[in-house]
Amino acid sequence: MTLTRKNGLLYLAILVGLIVLPSFISVKYYLHLSVLALIWVIVAQGQNLIQGFTGYVSIAQAGFMGIGAYGTALLGLNFGLPVWLTILIAPLITALFALVAGYPSLRVKGHYFAIVTLAFNMVIFIVLLNLTDVTNGEAGLMGIPKPGAGRDGAIDFADRTTYYYLVLIAATGVTALAALIVNSRLGRVLVAIRQNETLVGAAGLAAWKYKLFAFVVSAMFAGFAGALYAHYQSFINPEIFTIAQSMDAVLAVILGGSGTITGPIIGAFAIVFLPEYLRFADSFRLVIYGLILILATIFMPRGIVGLASDALGLLKKRLAR
Amino acid sequence: MLELVQQITNGVAIGSVYVLIALGLTTVFGILGIAHFAHGSVSMFGGYLVYVLVAFQGVSLWLAIPVALVVGMGVGALIEFLAYRPVRNANHINAFIIALGLTMMVEGLNLQFFGADQVVIPTGFDRVFEIAGVTIPETRLYVVLAATVLVIAMTAFVEGTKTGQAIRAVAQNRDAAILMGVNVRSIPLIVFAMSTMLGVAAGVMVGSLFAIAPGVGEAMVVKGFAVLILGGLGSIPGAIIGGLVLGVTEALAAGFLSSAYKDVIAFVVMIVVLLFRPQGLLGGAK
Repeated sequence: MTLTRKNGLLYLAILVGLIVLPSFISVKYYLHLSVLALIWVIVAQGQNLIQGFTGYVSIAQAGFMGIGAYGTALLGLNFGLPVWLTILIAPLITALFALVAGYPSLRVKGHYFAIVTLAFNMVIFIVLLNLTDVTNGEAGLMGIPKPGAGRDGAIDFADRTTYYYLVLIAATGVTALAALIVNSRLGRVLVAIRQNETLVGAAGLAAWKYKLFAFVVSAMFAGFAGALYAHYQSFINPEIFTIAQSMDAVLAVILGGSGTITGPIIGAFAIVFLPEYLRFADSFRLVIYGLILILATIFMPRGIVGLASDALGLLKKRLAR
Repeated sequence: MLELVQQITNGVAIGSVYVLIALGLTTVFGILGIAHFAHGSVSMFGGYLVYVLVAFQGVSLWLAIPVALVVGMGVGALIEFLAYRPVRNANHINAFIIALGLTMMVEGLNLQFFGADQVVIPTGFDRVFEIAGVTIPETRLYVVLAATVLVIAMTAFVEGTKTGQAIRAVAQNRDAAILMGVNVRSIPLIVFAMSTMLGVAAGVMVGSLFAIAPGVGEAMVVKGFAVLILGGLGSIPGAIIGGLVLGVTEALAAGFLSSAYKDVIAFVVMIVVLLFRPQGLLGGAK
């Protein structure tokens, strides 16, 4: 996964595509979905760090999004702090929670880590629901301010296209950061942990520090995404930060291609747009979704990106002949 | 004091349900190494099945339960064969993601077939016993009794039969078991059938003690895993003691602290055990 010129061109093509995307969208609703998809890119890049590279499935990402979203909203609503500041503080708050949850959770391996993180997501949900004095319970928080000086400012972030570009900048930054991490020595240790954790220990590296790093960074990404989401929707309630949404993050990484940088981008768009196209299936949606997850794991464990690169390789062979 | 005894008694009944869930999970994990996350949802499917048979088809409870148990065994074997077998030799993450997909599917099917309302299985056991000031509803008594019988039956099966011996052999050393002529292809099917049967029994108990509703299965399976972490992974006595400890702790927390946060207890207990005894209460030193 080194940053070759070919990869660079691919990333550039994706970026250019995303920059010009809004001018091709005539239906406002699709623009809305694209904003959501970009927010999910941020979550998925984090999920990919811990799941795709380190090999630990965390099912707390939606919970972390919740912490980020409530963090930024409460700071803004209760203390009147500027939106830009609270968006930046939110990931730090999330990191703190992740540090506390991650330290004991990472003592168990494999499946059990997933279970513990999942339980942690349940706890976040229960607390958000029941701490009504602070979170307003099921009714949620309303009137979360938009960034910038609102409609009076130089840039109107209440405008959907403007917010799209804000989120695009954020998603690009996060993706670049993820690429930087995985291409560094740190990233190679993470992959080594996925492949053989015992060997990493034998090589004299404290695997738990690296695992905790990946986990906390993944949570920070999710918290950041949650904050962007809160200001975009102006409304949040606990309902949107449940295990089901955490599963979406897992699915995005698997579907897109785990352990790659482009995978989570494709996966995030897939998990936002796919359910829209499955609308016709109504309540069977969940069943189809589950089936896709199972079939994807069995038949294309390397995701869409893996499938595409296989197809490309095959094509090249044919052409070379 | 009486209140304390009352809460502990309540806790034992809930704990029995956790024990059954955890036993199913621990056999699948200990023998096949699969964290079968869909276990809770499949259990609830069993509970719904009994509910529909009894409430809508007018089937007697004594017929409906065995039918659900047998269906459960079939479903368990089917899940192993169709979903887990293809990833038998892949990374353990793949099996876990399959489990997540299965959970979504089973939850979706439950929703499709049985609706989103919460349902209570009509058992007709309405008597309430009072022993030395402690009230025990009839249903709770039967739940504890049934759980005890199932645990003993399962232990007898695993310890005393030829098949049980083969199962233990596979758990200890798969390769050696193959060399000794154990049919390792059928063992996972049997294990899943047995485990799902226990899960369905637990689902029926949840349905008659409390209620079945979407999401209950997921909560159950999380508690089941909390029990395993508490008792030690893959240990049957650990699952029994862990289940009872969690049940009683929850009942005490609900009675004396706050019922809204009682579900947080499982998580707190899990984290504390992980911090101080990662190998579980009964697990040996690694």
